[in-house]
Amino acid sequence: MEDANTFDPDLVHAIFKLVWNRRALERERNEGADALDIQVGAGASKKNRPTYANANALKLSCELLRIFITEAVQRAATIAEAEGVSKIEATHLERILPQLLLDF
Amino acid sequence: MEADGAGSDVEREDESVIELLRDRFRLLTISIAEAQAKRNDLEISLPIAACIADLAFKYTEQLAKDLELFAQHASRKSINMEDVILSAHRNEHLATSLRSFGTDLKSKEAQSERKRKKPSRKEDKATTSVVHIPDN
Repeated sequence: MEDANTFDPDLVHAIFKLVWNRRALERERNEGADALDIQVGAGASKKNRPTYANANALKLSCELLRIFITEAVQRAATIAEAEGVSKIEATHLERILPQLLLDF
Repeated sequence: MEADGAGSDVEREDESVIELLRDRFRLLTISIAEAQAKRNDLEISLPIAACIADLAFKYTEQLAKDLELFAQHASRKSINMEDVILSAHRNEHLATSLRSFGTDLKSKEAQSERKRKKPSRKEDKATTSVVHIPDN
């Protein structure tokens, strides 16, 4: 059985960095808009530095994503099996989607 | 005017980077989904697997935002394992399984650190007995 089914931590890290850099830019723009308060100066530069991720946190995030996908497929598979069909289709995914989104 | 032009260039670059990441993500997700379906002796239709992939991608973006907020809330600049476990708070089973995975990771790290320290001490003893190395 192939056990190569984990996410690539680098890929997840790249996506995280993209989101964080985007948010850091937004924060810069927002602070540029109300740059009247000089006191905010020191705090502003701290906030604008993007966030970093710990290696273990990345591995854990990969695991979380893997569980997300596994759960989605597993729950849809249960419904497909109950119907006696051999292929997972849109209708199966539809039915498990609300609970999946609530759980995650 | 000029600033806007530079901003939209950065955005366009961002778009292509996002597309690349999304494609890699899609491939990985589809392989995980197909493997999972096989374990139930089922097949998964490709557009549905792609749908799950896009959903997972959006979830990842949301996760990044949540993790950043948690770390900021704790006055930290970097994400740690507690933040990830916290983001799974909506489902008890999920949180528990993540927590045990995290503990495993920590204990594996501690083990590999201990292994690294032991051989280096042995090497030091061996070399000092054979060759006279000046102390640093």
